[in-house]
Amino acid sequence: MLHAFLLDGEAHELWLGRSREGYCLHAGGRRIPVELLERGGHAHELIIDGDRYHVLIARRGDEVHVHLNGESHLLRYVDNLKRFAGDPMDEGDAVTRAPMPGSIIAVSVEVGQRVRRGDALMVIESMKMETTINAACDGAVQCLHVDVGQLIDKDALLITLDRSASE
Amino acid sequence: MQTNWPFQSVLIANRGEIAARIVRTVQRLGLQAVVVHHAVDADTPAVRLADTAIEITGATPVAAYLDGTQILEAARRAGSGAIHPGYGFLSENPSFARQCRQAGLVFVGPSAEAIELMGDKVRARAFVAQGGFPVAPSAIEDDDPDSFVERAAAVGFPLLIKPAAGGGGKGMRIVREAAALRTELDRARSEGQRYFGDGRLYVERFIENPRHIEVQVFGDEYGTVVHLFERECSVQRRFQKIVEESPSPALSPQVRDDICATAAGIARRAGYCNAGTVEFIYGNGEFYFLEMNTRLQVEHPVTEETLGIDLVEHQLRVAAGEKLAFSQETLRPRGHAFEFRIYAEDPSRGYLPTTGPVLALREPRAAGIRIDSGIAAGQEITAAFDPMLAKLIVSAATRGEAIALARSALDDYALLGCKTNTGFLRRLLSHPAFLAGEIHTGFLDAHPEVAAQPPLSDETLHRLLAAAALATRPVRDAADAVPALHADMGDWRN
Repeated sequence: MLHAFLLDGEAHELWLGRSREGYCLHAGGRRIPVELLERGGHAHELIIDGDRYHVLIARRGDEVHVHLNGESHLLRYVDNLKRFAGDPMDEGDAVTRAPMPGSIIAVSVEVGQRVRRGDALMVIESMKMETTINAACDGAVQCLHVDVGQLIDKDALLITLDRSASE
Repeated sequence: MQTNWPFQSVLIANRGEIAARIVRTVQRLGLQAVVVHHAVDADTPAVRLADTAIEITGATPVAAYLDGTQILEAARRAGSGAIHPGYGFLSENPSFARQCRQAGLVFVGPSAEAIELMGDKVRARAFVAQGGFPVAPSAIEDDDPDSFVERAAAVGFPLLIKPAAGGGGKGMRIVREAAALRTELDRARSEGQRYFGDGRLYVERFIENPRHIEVQVFGDEYGTVVHLFERECSVQRRFQKIVEESPSPALSPQVRDDICATAAGIARRAGYCNAGTVEFIYGNGEFYFLEMNTRLQVEHPVTEETLGIDLVEHQLRVAAGEKLAFSQETLRPRGHAFEFRIYAEDPSRGYLPTTGPVLALREPRAAGIRIDSGIAAGQEITAAFDPMLAKLIVSAATRGEAIALARSALDDYALLGCKTNTGFLRRLLSHPAFLAGEIHTGFLDAHPEVAAQPPLSDETLHRLLAAAALATRPVRDAADAVPALHADMGDWRN
């Protein structure tokens, strides 16, 4: 069965095979013998093509966090069902999400208000700097998901626009 | 040093790494350490280490740590006789220092008057200039608000706009041409109003690519003021320090003597008591007074490591009414020390803060390596606070050895669950200009390759995919589901 992991926004397909000798990773047109040994806690020893690497691995849901050679990486396992059902995050321009964690310092529109692409919707403060969030399309403000003063995480839902309301 | 402490318990009005660091010294001195904490910080090292932890509340977590009344009440409840404010939060709030003293508590820091003087950047500048110490050409709004824009333009471009009540780089803006001046002044005013409740501004001639050099000073209530040498903090992003070191690779012995004596002179003129830091900009062989921070500095460990002293201990001793335990002649720095700030942020995306759970944490341990950390496994890193998580401090005989030690320490430092800047710090440590000590406050803008995430090699990608695949149940199950017979026949795909 073919599997996929997202790494830095890119999907990488692979499958894991098994033979008498152990596991084999099939990825990028290569077939590589691999083994992962638990070494207590999050520590593991990765044996790949005969080379040994000390790695730390932590999992949370579909996330696999791997520390290798001094760097931490986040890989996200993409469930096959979700992969072929289309991207549920693809909401188009009508939904505005927070580009970064921070707090809302101003909201310049009201529900029902018509906006044009590029209009300022709100101002977020992050890292002691202000960032203006602009409308990505024409439409009417359907829903304001946040209030002034509210703390937000990255990708938090900020505003939903109704595109059908554009003139 | 036998001390009859006038207080037996010290309340630490802070959080994160600095709260934990102060708790350790307080306990080592045989005193009780009390911390206040917002509920979101219940799992942090400071709360775990403290003898007593008192919960405080607020509209936001930050608001709780800024609520002086609540913190004074916590001190009363815990029976603390002294309050250590750490840095940030209430540390440079003169009213809080006054309230502490009015409540009969020892405020571990300078007098409210000194905080007030240095907290008003315009007054501080004038005070320093009157003492005959060097300041950069400037225009101050308050001198005559009507002509401020004209006077600002007359300072010359590029110039730097600063909030009069500011500090820590907040609300500062560089203006390179006259056309942008008015707009940038309006922006800076709005930011100053919001951060400090004070929209007054001043502008200063901006020295292109200067170095940031600061000098640790210490005074006692008997009029002794000494300097504890310099720290260079030139590697910054958006006026926020990332790496600090001592000694500065830029100073000749002559300039070092001069800048350190100037810092001590400024502190002496202010009648300064307890620990403080005088910051300078240094370029083209000249230095100008920038500001004085009337508190313990984030990067104080660099000084502690080169001098072999615990600054928090001496803060407590001086606050307890003791004389300074060292004189200028006995202070002899040795070797080289660095501090690297570990931030929850993504340098490749404009240093945007990151959030996430601390799923696993491994810290390096070896001689010459010190970690001052505010996080523990199991904790959640949120956007509620400043993104600094921990500090890696290394010290060795030479700058080169300290860099080598830092490299191996960063290789070993692992935090899983939330992206940090450690990869960026590793790239910085291999940059030829950094290795040569050729740093300035515009260093990261001039070398964007340090912040950029280099592409993964195919080998690294395969290692990561192998680790992830083998650690993911559905992937492993699919491989294991191949019947043994087929497995015997070869490499089967299910």
